[in-house]
Amino acid sequence: MEFETIYKTYWDRIFRLCMGFVNDYDIAQDLAQETFIIVWQKLETFRNESAIGTWIFRIASNNCLRQIEKDKRFPKSDLPAHLSEEKQTSIEPHIQFLYKCIAELPETDRIIISLELEDVKQSEIAKIVGLSEANVRVKIYRIKEKLTQKFKENGQR
Amino acid sequence: MDNDNNIYFKDLWKKQTVSQPDMQDLLSRVSVFKKVALRSLWMTNIMLLATSIFIIFIWIYYQPQLISTKIGIILIILAMMIYLLVYNKLFGKYKDIDATTTNHDYLQKLVLIKKKQQFLQTNMMSLYFVILSAGLGLYMYEYASRMTFLGAGLTYGITFLWILFSWFFIRPKQIKKQQDKINNLIQRFEEVTHQLES
Repeated sequence: MEFETIYKTYWDRIFRLCMGFVNDYDIAQDLAQETFIIVWQKLETFRNESAIGTWIFRIASNNCLRQIEKDKRFPKSDLPAHLSEEKQTSIEPHIQFLYKCIAELPETDRIIISLELEDVKQSEIAKIVGLSEANVRVKIYRIKEKLTQKFKENGQR
Repeated sequence: MDNDNNIYFKDLWKKQTVSQPDMQDLLSRVSVFKKVALRSLWMTNIMLLATSIFIIFIWIYYQPQLISTKIGIILIILAMMIYLLVYNKLFGKYKDIDATTTNHDYLQKLVLIKKKQQFLQTNMMSLYFVILSAGLGLYMYEYASRMTFLGAGLTYGITFLWILFSWFFIRPKQIKKQQDKINNLIQRFEEVTHQLES
C-alpha cells in the first residue's frame, strides 16, 4: 500500500485517537506526526499478517503510551493552561467536553473507546490492545456508561 | 438509550476539527526527527572520545616512565569506554522496541527496558567511579613521587577527598535522581499494564 494513500486515509483517524489520549491539539498533532513517521519508516516491514488499519492503530496507540514518559519531562502544569483553550473556541462545547472526558479516563480505556468511536471492529480492537474480544466488549460497555454518566452530571444532554 | 448515546458520542467524536498537514512537510521532518534523537548520543560520544584522545596524547608527549602511570591511563580510558558502551547500549534498546505489537506487549517491553536501564545505571555508575578513581590514583603516582613529601601528601589528600566526596555525595545523588525518575516510570507503566489485566 502506498504511503500517500495511507496518510490520506488515516491521518484524521489517528489524529482523533491522539487527541482523545491527550486532549491537547498541539501535542496530538505531534503524536500523529510521530506515528506517521514510524509508519513511513516501517512500512516495508509490514507483512499483511494483520489488516493495515490494525497495524497503524497499534503504532499510534503505542506511541501514545510512550507519551507517558514524555509527560514526566514536561509536566502539564508548567504549560500555560489557557493555551489550548484559546485555539479551540470555535469547537462546539459538546465535542470539547467529550474529548476532555475521554482524556481523563485511564490510559488504556482512552485507547479502547477512541478506537470504538472510530468504528474499529471489536475483534480488531482486541488485536490492537492485546485483550480478548469479550474483555474489550465489557470494557467498552463500562466506559460508555461512565461517559454517559459524566454527560448527565454536566447537563450536556 | 445506550444505542442512542453511542451514535451521539460517535457523532461528536468525528466532529473534532482536524487539519491534515502536507505530507511533504511531514516527510521533511523525518530527518530532523532522527537528528534530534541522535544529537545527545553523539555529543556524549565525542566528548568522552576527545578526552581519551587527549589522555593518549599526554602519554605520547610526556612519555611516562613508570608502569603505574601507564596502567592508570589505561584504566581511565577503560572507565570512559565502559561508560560509553553502557550509554550507547541503553540508547539502542529504545530503538529496538517493536512499535507494531499489541499495547499489552509494548507496555511490558517498556517496563523491561526501564528495569534494565535501572540496573545498568546503578551498577555501571559505581564501576565507572571505582575504575576512574583507581586509574587516577595510579596515574598521579609518578608525578607525586617527584614532589616533596608535603606536596605529594597534599596532592593525594585533595584527590582522595574529591573521590570520597564523589563516591559518598555525588554518586548517590546522581543514582537517586535517575532512580526516582525510572522508578516512577516503571510504576506508571505497570499501572497502565494492570488497567488491561483488571
